[in-house]
Amino acid sequence: MKTLLAVYRAQFKTSFLMYLQYRTSSVLWLLGMVLEPVIYLVVWSTIARANGGAVDGYGVGDFAAYFLVLSLVNHLTDNWVYYEFQERVRQGLLSALLLRPIHPIHADIAQNLTYKCIMLVVMLPTVGALALVFHPAAHVMLFTLLLFFPSLLLAIAIRFLVEWSLGLTVFWTTQMSAVLQAYYVALFFLSGQMGPLTLFPVPVQLLAQLLPFQWMLAFPVQLLLGQLDQHAIVLGLVAQAMWLCLSLALMTVLWHRGLRRYSGMGA
Amino acid sequence: MQLNILRELAYRGNFFTQIFQSLLSLGFGLLGLAVIFDHTSMLDEWQPAELLALLGTYQLVGGVINLVIQPCMQQLMREVHQGTMDFTLLKPADTQFLVSIRQVQIWKLCDIALGLAVVGVALAHLGATVGVWQVLMFIFALAAGGSIVYSFWLMLATCSFWVVRVENILVIFQDLYQAGRWPVSIYPSWLRWTLTFLVPVTVATTIPAQALIGQLAWPALLGIAFFALLALLLSRWFWLFGLRHYTGASA
Amino acid sequence: MLMDHSSVISVCDLRRHYTVSRRDAGLKAALRSIVRRVTSEVVAVDGITFHLAPGEIVGFLGPNGAGKTTTLKMLSGLLYPTDGTAVVLDYVPWRRERALLQQIALVMGQRSQLQWDIPAIDSFALNQAIYRIDPPTYRHTLDELTELLDLAPLLTKPVRTLSLGERMKCELAAALLHRPRVLFLDEPTIGLDVTSQRRIRTFIAEYNLRYEATVLLTSHYMADVEALCRRVILIHRGKLLFDGNLRELAQRFSSHKTVTVYTPEGASGLASYGEVISTEEGQVKLRVPRADTAWVVHRLLEERTISDLTIEDPPIEQVIEQASCLGGR
Repeated sequence: MKTLLAVYRAQFKTSFLMYLQYRTSSVLWLLGMVLEPVIYLVVWSTIARANGGAVDGYGVGDFAAYFLVLSLVNHLTDNWVYYEFQERVRQGLLSALLLRPIHPIHADIAQNLTYKCIMLVVMLPTVGALALVFHPAAHVMLFTLLLFFPSLLLAIAIRFLVEWSLGLTVFWTTQMSAVLQAYYVALFFLSGQMGPLTLFPVPVQLLAQLLPFQWMLAFPVQLLLGQLDQHAIVLGLVAQAMWLCLSLALMTVLWHRGLRRYSGMGA
Repeated sequence: MQLNILRELAYRGNFFTQIFQSLLSLGFGLLGLAVIFDHTSMLDEWQPAELLALLGTYQLVGGVINLVIQPCMQQLMREVHQGTMDFTLLKPADTQFLVSIRQVQIWKLCDIALGLAVVGVALAHLGATVGVWQVLMFIFALAAGGSIVYSFWLMLATCSFWVVRVENILVIFQDLYQAGRWPVSIYPSWLRWTLTFLVPVTVATTIPAQALIGQLAWPALLGIAFFALLALLLSRWFWLFGLRHYTGASA
Repeated sequence: MLMDHSSVISVCDLRRHYTVSRRDAGLKAALRSIVRRVTSEVVAVDGITFHLAPGEIVGFLGPNGAGKTTTLKMLSGLLYPTDGTAVVLDYVPWRRERALLQQIALVMGQRSQLQWDIPAIDSFALNQAIYRIDPPTYRHTLDELTELLDLAPLLTKPVRTLSLGERMKCELAAALLHRPRVLFLDEPTIGLDVTSQRRIRTFIAEYNLRYEATVLLTSHYMADVEALCRRVILIHRGKLLFDGNLRELAQRFSSHKTVTVYTPEGASGLASYGEVISTEEGQVKLRVPRADTAWVVHRLLEERTISDLTIEDPPIEQVIEQASCLGGR
């Protein structure tokens, strides 16, 4: 355990130094990511205004609040780990990773968290500026704020594990672009990036509840904004916990299988 | 370029992958439109069929960008970064021409085909309101918009002569291009300005679509033609300027 | 099958096969391959056996594709063999037990494990944490490595600003921070200039002496092997052709010796003594069958005016080439 803490501390330091070097790219990347919620915010606001102020109970201010919180939570749960794995295969770095006496996921977790924390320095003012432009209307209560944090942590963990598992597919093939695209399409619709899930037809909402995407992003957002009743909050947290276990299991299985495949055990 | 195409054909998976991805991308757009029109009958005075035409144009132009503009410019930046630009400079042809056409991701033709098909469907829905003249304007607007996008990418790539790590900045165009799915009129003015002049997305999608559905007025068409000419000249000048700097510096 | 427990590395009848898909050139074949896939079996390592004692530096030689890197990967636990056994420090390497990983290191000449954009010293700190090196030991090892490799000016510069030779030195240091008892080096001097190569060679020899580490080294450069390895193992097409020292290698596989004759008379007429390889100002090289060497030299000294004469084995590269050809049949 002490080893892990030492490793995390060292990895935080190296990642921090590295991102400092890439600050321009990081800022631009972040701005690009923020653009998408802004686009859909505008689209829905336009519809709301044309419909006499609201769509399905969401007014312009509600949409603004939803998308701004979403952009923040998206920043905190976002990953790019699949591309790291692709690079590792391309440069032959997998061997070096596998020779270390610790699990390579720790280095990735540390690097990921470092980026998110550093970029909050840019993210928070950006969201603040957007708030001034779009006038969000939010109803945040103390208990939703308190429950938001564990939910957020669960969301971050679930999304990281699922996407790290996607990264592990490089052990089998590097031609995953189609699957990856399908993943991102599903993610876009079912995690609430297009809009609050209640705007979707009921069958789609049911589907969203069965898949992990909602629990990676939309749920903490709706929780914070007070859009869920207590019953839904409890069920949601349970669902998140369940998905955490599932994604952990998935990652473990894929890791062992992937390792065997890489070392030619003929899995 | 022939070798390049041969190489692409050798990867059998790529063909099926591309078809799948193009369809997925189209499906994505259609789903988005479906959700929107579940709640309204039009978006900022754009009818469903008109938005469909916009989506088709978006797919089509995206295909053109990914077919040749993006791979060539990325290759250019990579070469400058790795210092292998010199081989290209030694070839007996205009360098700008060479670097602009040598990489072709042939399978992106699927996107273009699909985009055209969608535009066709949209036109069918719009019925008799579309005539030959509008189609001509559409093609003209596409050409103009395409030139502007090309010039933008070229200028960005030329920056790599000075700032070597420009590659990362490409991602921002991909993100901003997403905004082209929707008519530019819905965006607040500051965003509209950015998307027209700073990073030319709307000129590539909204304006040609408007031309097609007959909403493009004469001044706008002249404007985009003028803009295109300006962009081409500016990017050419900047390119030559950058090239001079590069060859001077490596001496 | 006897397992020698005094050896650090024991390899017994190790085998490794691969299945690869074939693709022919040309447009028609490319289109055809969209529908049908052709595969073939490649044997990378074909039953090799050897044992290494503690503190040995052994050179692993052979042409490209002979199976050297594959063997190293199996011994470091990255690859699972198709058949056979190997034991490194009493562990089976492909079980990847942490205790073993803490004691070995694999350095590959072309691949880098250092972080690109930050100074090497920060990557070292990360390794310290990963390998659980306590601070005093770490500092001591780092100081020694810095001294041996002359790293002081390099440590605080970002790795991408270092030259290839400097980067290789940092790579080596990073791999050795945890003082591994077994070192696998795959082409450590490839692409380096002569000075750097010599530096690294000296370092490896020094490290081996100081820490009694066992080193298994592959290289294309004979200078590496001649400088460092008392024992060499020759691999060709996955088979072990030779295991012994360099002299024995020359004796067994080279059928000729090189006689260099220094004479003012020039090369005329010397062809009757042996095959003339080269002529220079006052110096002629002859290629003489091994068995005839003594007799030819005797005749030369008797019948000619010779100011000096040397007898040598042919260059090692030639010997290896010859051995590979013989073994390949």
